[in-house]
Amino acid sequence: MRSRDRWQLPAAALLAAAAAAVWWRADLFTMELLAEVAILAIFTMSLQLLVGVTGMVSLGHAGFLAAGAYTTAAATLFWGWPPAAALVLSVAVAALLAAAAGLFVIRLSGVFFIMITLAVGQMFHAFFFRAQRFGGDNGLAGTPRIDLAALGLDSGAPGTFAAFALICAALVYLLLLLVTRSPFGMMLGAIHQNESRLASLGCPVRRYKLAAFTAAGAVAGVAGALTAQHTGFISPDLAFWTFSGEALIIVILGGSGSLAGAAAGAAVFVLLRDLLSSGSFWSGLSLPPELASHWQLFMGMLFIAVVLAARDGLYGRLAWLIEALHTRRRARR
Amino acid sequence: MLLDPGFLIVQTLNGLQLAALLFLLSVGLSVVFGLMNFINLAHGTLFMAGAYLALSAVRAFDSFWLALLLAPLGVAVLGGLLYLVLLRHLERADPMRQVLATFGLIFVGVEVVDLVWGSLPHTIAVPPVLAGSSLILGQVYPTYRLFIIALGVLLFALLYAALERTRLGAVVRAGVDDRDMVAALGINIGSVFLLVFCLGCLLAGLAGAVAAPVFSIFPGMDLSVLILALIVVVLGGPGSLKGVAAGSLIIGVVDTYGQVVVPELARLTVYGLMAAILLYKPAGLIPVRGAR
Repeated sequence: MRSRDRWQLPAAALLAAAAAAVWWRADLFTMELLAEVAILAIFTMSLQLLVGVTGMVSLGHAGFLAAGAYTTAAATLFWGWPPAAALVLSVAVAALLAAAAGLFVIRLSGVFFIMITLAVGQMFHAFFFRAQRFGGDNGLAGTPRIDLAALGLDSGAPGTFAAFALICAALVYLLLLLVTRSPFGMMLGAIHQNESRLASLGCPVRRYKLAAFTAAGAVAGVAGALTAQHTGFISPDLAFWTFSGEALIIVILGGSGSLAGAAAGAAVFVLLRDLLSSGSFWSGLSLPPELASHWQLFMGMLFIAVVLAARDGLYGRLAWLIEALHTRRRARR
Repeated sequence: MLLDPGFLIVQTLNGLQLAALLFLLSVGLSVVFGLMNFINLAHGTLFMAGAYLALSAVRAFDSFWLALLLAPLGVAVLGGLLYLVLLRHLERADPMRQVLATFGLIFVGVEVVDLVWGSLPHTIAVPPVLAGSSLILGQVYPTYRLFIIALGVLLFALLYAALERTRLGAVVRAGVDDRDMVAALGINIGSVFLLVFCLGCLLAGLAGAVAAPVFSIFPGMDLSVLILALIVVVLGGPGSLKGVAAGSLIIGVVDTYGQVVVPELARLTVYGLMAAILLYKPAGLIPVRGAR
């Protein structure tokens, strides 16, 4: 684990460079994808703080993203708040709700933690599905994007918004990296490794878990606010448990414990989905293009393969490869 | 409205009908959870497979009763294959891997169904014998729905007798109680588990086939049902047959009345109930004796 940590920053820098390079040459559609990758990366990195760092496997994390998205939509559409202020409010609301739910859910662990977070996430879904004020199952449309006119920029342009989302993702990455490397983050890692030992040493384990759950919820709120800004349309589907499940798969795909891995996993997921759901990809393989509408079949099989095969995810494999090459070269010398 | 006896009788019967379906669906999930601490999210997919296999069987043989026999058997075989090919390798894995691998299966299941049967919703006609309505407690009620209730009660009685009176039942009860001890006594708990798993799949398939004339059959019909079944299992206590029956009754009735009386809350109450049970009675309402 320690030796791999060395590759954390280089991997993140590589990822950022790749994103910047793509952004430099991207067409309008690719810009939309980039923004989506950035927002999903924020969400999966927040989940990584729970799953990979602290060892709390939540199957209801999408509930907090949805809470952030609906807060931004409500604040801008109903009260006329500027989107930037709505973003701050979204984070506060998501954090508050995560803290309230966290008070209860952190008492459980293992499979029971998975089940109760599932129930909590579904409560968000059921609420938004029925709340007529928020458009019920039709959702809400028309959330404005952040106003960057002061910088002389128009956030309505896909390129500008993609850059904004990418910068947000980078900031979130740095913030979470600081958190995981702080004494607080070290404690979270220790809880992951041996919770009962820590408890017997007198560490208030539950307080740390509650703090982690709240922090992860707050960051998910950022992703929610940006989702509302990006698509301008939100629906209860954002809170549905399958979205939480997809985010968990992405976290595993990226590799356990690595923030950069979670972000890379988000990129791989969005690109794969785009690839598999485009008819030209399948006809390029001289297969019927109708397969594109069944892209979830291949995604599902990939999910299973990822869970079965990649024990430590893409990032882990990559770090292992670099590490192995490194030692071989050293041995030759 | 609430004090009208006719309304109460009809809604209670609706609740019981849903409870019977939930019972059939949740038994397998519960026993697998109780026996192996294994959560199979693809259980709803097996329910959907039961409905679609029943659809094909009705089309092929033009007999609902044959479909009711063949579809569950098909699902049991499917479940057995699934176990041998995939799930067996996950028995010792941590819960996250189990949940996510079976989560992937949900996507595969929906798409396979879409590929084979198309994305449009289907229905099956109610068999002629049960097509009409019956007079019960002074209310006119569809006979087929009464049949579902009766089937649920019958299967509960059968399963209860099997669990309490047969050797296999004793092994299963002991396995839920302490799996390692049963294995140490020289019983091949692995093959018992395969058998129980297939039986659970059979019942899920039966639930799908029975539900087919009442629900609409479409790819994705498994998602909402799966969550309800999970709630039933948690509510009753994993591995407890009586718990599954009690959980099904509670969820069936609460959900039915909830949709009618307080539609704006809808499933919020059911999820809240699940969270509360997990917190204050993690072993469920009717815990298995000696469960830790």
